[in-house]
Amino acid sequence: MSRRRFNPDRDVAEWQGPSVRYDLLKEVSVAFAVVLVLAIVFAIVFSSPDERAITLQSWSKAAPVDFVQTAMTELDGTSGTATYGPPYTSTPGASQKLGPLSLESLVGVHIPLDTAQQFVISPLRTLPDVPVLDRAIAEYQSAPAPRKAAWNTAYEKAVAKATFSAGTLEVPGGAYGPVGTMMSHLLDMARTGALDGALTATPQLYGTDYTKPLLFIADGAYMGNVASNRHLLGEQWGMMNETGNYPGQAWLWLYTLWYQVPPMNSSSNGDVEVWGIMMGLTVLLALAPFIPGLRSVPRLTRVYRLIWRRHYRAVET
Amino acid sequence: MPTIMSAPAVTAVLVDLSRPGRYVHWGFIQISVANLVVIGLMLLVFILAIAIPFPHGGKK
Repeated sequence: MSRRRFNPDRDVAEWQGPSVRYDLLKEVSVAFAVVLVLAIVFAIVFSSPDERAITLQSWSKAAPVDFVQTAMTELDGTSGTATYGPPYTSTPGASQKLGPLSLESLVGVHIPLDTAQQFVISPLRTLPDVPVLDRAIAEYQSAPAPRKAAWNTAYEKAVAKATFSAGTLEVPGGAYGPVGTMMSHLLDMARTGALDGALTATPQLYGTDYTKPLLFIADGAYMGNVASNRHLLGEQWGMMNETGNYPGQAWLWLYTLWYQVPPMNSSSNGDVEVWGIMMGLTVLLALAPFIPGLRSVPRLTRVYRLIWRRHYRAVET
Repeated sequence: MPTIMSAPAVTAVLVDLSRPGRYVHWGFIQISVANLVVIGLMLLVFILAIAIPFPHGGKK
């Protein structure tokens, strides 16, 4: 029977020398105790980040005009969410592609969202005993599409010049029909916190699905500005960062690095391109023991000889 | 009447890290000072782990 040639990257020679007792359980116990003590001491000394979550209520109170301008894009279907593509909408050409492959389209629209209905009209319908609002919604919904579009356009132009003072939204007059009434009630609803409740409402006891309010908030400029001030945007290597002076997710340096370099930093398919690179590198890492050259790196860098230097010194003498 | 400690006194921390972060810019690279410190500590632990002699067990 022929024997395979010895390969130092694949084969291990049987150890013939002396052995040393080692208590692995003791090491695990000591390591656990040390980490536990460090975690408790660090928690006492540094505490932890405790930023208040941005809600529709806090957004509409801090930046009411931005809220209404964003709500208008939800109503007329031009917001980021309304045109996102899968998994929320079936907007043609919106999904990212890796070469000819669109992974989002393969998964399909499995969280369908009609932002006009789900972010604006349905929540407004939950407000009780507001006849003027009920009439406005009925008028808007029964109007033909061209009239709706004309109202939407007129309100968008007007709200671009809107101001907010003394708790009141002041929008220049215009031919925007019932849209002004709907938007002012939606703003009032958001400022009381009722809109957060309406968008997280669920038949279950506790609402834990924040998809809709998060998408709504992300469509506005407010959250982006808050994130920018805290160095949390993608272009600021934000994936690695934490708020304040707390250390963040430093291990994500490689993932976020690809977003900073061409062509990913300006590509409309940047997310899927970065994902593809990281998946390729992950496969390389997982298959390292089978890849000639790559699997020799630990042997050639000889770090193991530094770790076990006393052994190799003894063997060599 | 019993004295009730105010919330800020209870939750005050010894080192306040919640103030605006400090960042280092080097070309297209941006990194927080906090992350740099943690990376430095990780490298230090790695070097110490190699430099400090491995404890002896009983030979058999």
